Amino acid sequence: MIAAIRPDSWNLPLFLHILGSVVLFGTTGAIALAAFGARRRPEHAPLLSRVAFRTFLFGVIPSWILMRVDAQWIDNKEFPHNEPGWVGYGYAVSEGGGLLLIVVGILAWLWARNNGTGPKKNLAIGILSSIVLVALGVAWFAMSAKP
Amino acid sequence: MIAAVLNLVALGRDRPSEIDALFGLIKLAALPIGIGAFMAFVFGLWLVHEADYSYGDGWVVAAIVLFVIFAAAGSFGGRRDDATRRLAHELAEEGDAPSAVIRRRVRDPLSLALSYGAGILMVAVLALMVWKPGA
Repeated sequence: MIAAIRPDSWNLPLFLHILGSVVLFGTTGAIALAAFGARRRPEHAPLLSRVAFRTFLFGVIPSWILMRVDAQWIDNKEFPHNEPGWVGYGYAVSEGGGLLLIVVGILAWLWARNNGTGPKKNLAIGILSSIVLVALGVAWFAMSAKP
Repeated sequence: MIAAVLNLVALGRDRPSEIDALFGLIKLAALPIGIGAFMAFVFGLWLVHEADYSYGDGWVVAAIVLFVIFAAAGSFGGRRDDATRRLAHELAEEGDAPSAVIRRRVRDPLSLALSYGAGILMVAVLALMVWKPGA
């Protein structure tokens, strides 16, 4: 019922937070797909390595910032003093996921710099991105169900 | 979002094998995207009931209409993209020379309007869910 009594001033940060999360999920998924796709089609690894790195640079970083800044914005409005436990799940995923994404970004940069060579790099990028996707799914549940 | 990223990359390529690889990844992502969209629709309708809103509320009707248009646009756009992928696959097997035909197909305005239009509609549905105009 919180949705029904939510003040209008919370709408913009909530919208931007969800939009950032959706774009973050999609761009992280695109990196995972490019990394695993390069294992299936190694002849296109140079192209897919550039796709992964540019998606990190122009998709993941801005969307993570949008998601995280607006999470703080709405948290400050909704819970100015004591925040409930489920908010902590969101922070754990955004901060922990952010650290994993930094590692993904570094690996993607190295992978693209080596013109897509190094099957271990794309495997690591694919696995780490997939872990972030699962963590985002957990945060999504926590934000919706508020356990 | 996944489809948009790979489609944007494909816009800058003209080798059929590269188009085939990129559109092949979009095809891989299409099933989970479709399942996710269907679940969002079904659970969204359930939530309308649980939160004591009416299915006749203007913002709910608008969201349902936009969602149906989104699903139709995404489906038509996806089928056109798959036809492009099959053509790229054939051209790749015939020598993989850069092709004006495949370049035109990737940049086809109708396919692009359907795919990116579907994405914009989803953002509009999200805005309706958050602001609930008239509720």
